[in-house]
Amino acid sequence: MESATQQSCLDCALRPDRVFCDLPDNVLAALDAMKSKIVCPRGTVLFREGQPAKGVFVLCEGRARLSVCSESGKRLTLHIAAPGEVLGLSAALSGGPYEVSAELLDNAQVAMVKRKDLLAFLREHREACLHVVDLLSQDLHIAYDRVRSVGLGRTRRPRTSSV
Amino acid sequence: MLSPYGLDIIESCLTCKMRSDRIFCDLPTTALQSFEAIKYATAYPKGAVLFVEGQAPRGIFVLCKGRVKLSICSTDGKTLILKIAEPGEVLGLSATVSGKPYELTAETIDPCQVNFVKREDFLRFLKDNSEACFKVAEQLSEKYNNACHEVRSLGLSHSASEKLAKLLLEWSSKNGEAAKQEPRVKLALTHEEIAQMIGTSRETVTRLFADLKKRQIVQAKGSTLVIRNKIALKALATNS
Repeated sequence: MESATQQSCLDCALRPDRVFCDLPDNVLAALDAMKSKIVCPRGTVLFREGQPAKGVFVLCEGRARLSVCSESGKRLTLHIAAPGEVLGLSAALSGGPYEVSAELLDNAQVAMVKRKDLLAFLREHREACLHVVDLLSQDLHIAYDRVRSVGLGRTRRPRTSSV
Repeated sequence: MLSPYGLDIIESCLTCKMRSDRIFCDLPTTALQSFEAIKYATAYPKGAVLFVEGQAPRGIFVLCKGRVKLSICSTDGKTLILKIAEPGEVLGLSATVSGKPYELTAETIDPCQVNFVKREDFLRFLKDNSEACFKVAEQLSEKYNNACHEVRSLGLSHSASEKLAKLLLEWSSKNGEAAKQEPRVKLALTHEEIAQMIGTSRETVTRLFADLKKRQIVQAKGSTLVIRNKIALKALATNS
C-alpha cells in the first residue's frame, strides 16, 4: 500500500452517484480532513475476518471481494463490492471484529477512515449517519440474498425457465 | 387491568423500565417523546405473522415482549429460520429504510407486545434525531453480523451434525451458562424448527439428537438439554 496524492473528495466528479460520498460540502470537508487515501495493488487484503475493526475503507476505484472463511480454510464469496461502497462498516460501528475478509480484485484507490474518527463524524453529521443507515440496509439485503441462495439453493426471483 | 394473552402491556416508552438495557430504546428523553407520538403499541398472540417476505414495507416493529421467528422461504415452501428475535430488537428495519420489500417473514412464537411505527413517520423521526439514527446503524450492523454468521454456517459447514453442534454451543453460551462445565439449554423450538435453522430435515435432527444422547454428549431433562460433554460437542462443531 502507498499513500496517494491527497485528492480532495470535494473535487471528486463521481461523488453525486455514490451513496456515502454524496454529502454537503461542509460535511465532506470534515470527511476529507480525517481520511487517508491509499493506492493498493490488486490482491491486497484490506482486512481479514476476525481482526479487530480498525476503521472503514471507502472504495474510490476498483473492486473488492468480500468473503467468509471456515476453520478448514474453505472460502465463500459473499459479495463483489463496487466503487463507492464502504467496507467494514458494520464491524466498525458495532466495535466487534470484521465479519468478512476484503481482498482487492483490481488495482484500487481507497480512502481509510479510523473507527474513532468515523464514530465522532457520524454523531456530529446527521446526513452522513443517514447515508450509513442506507448503506447498511443495502449490505443487509445483499447478505440476506446470499443466505437465501446458500441455504435454500435459489434466489427469491424464480429463475427464468429454460426453453 | 387484565391484558390480552397474559401480557402486561407497556403503554409508554417513557416509563418503560427495560429501555436502558435495549440498544434502540435507550434514547434521550426528547427523542423518546417524539417516538412515543408516532408509535402504536399492539399485542399479538402466538403464531401471528407481523410481515411476510416480499411485502412492500409498511414500517418497523419494535419487539417489546415475547419472541419472534424470522425466516426466509423458497418458492417450493422450504423454510429457513434465520434468527429468533428477542425483546429490544427492531424488525423490518432495512426494508423500511431502503424502501425495498421485507426480506424476511416475522412470526411470533410467544404472545408479543410490538410497537409499530409507520414508514413515513419513522424516516422523518430518523432525519430529526441523530441519536436514533446512530442506534439504527448499530442495529443494522448487528443484523449484518448475524447474516454473515448464517452464510458461514450454512455455506461452509460440512455436515448437519456440525451445524447442530454449533447451534447448541451458541445457545449454551447464553444466560450465563457458558462458564459452567455442564451448561443447560432450554429447548424452545421443535425438531422441525431446529431443522429449519440449520437447513436440514426434521428426521435428521431427531436422528442426530438420538445419537448425541446415545454417546452421552447431551442429556434431555424435559425440555432442557444438559450438555454433558462440551469438549466432544466442540470437536463435532469444528469437524475434527
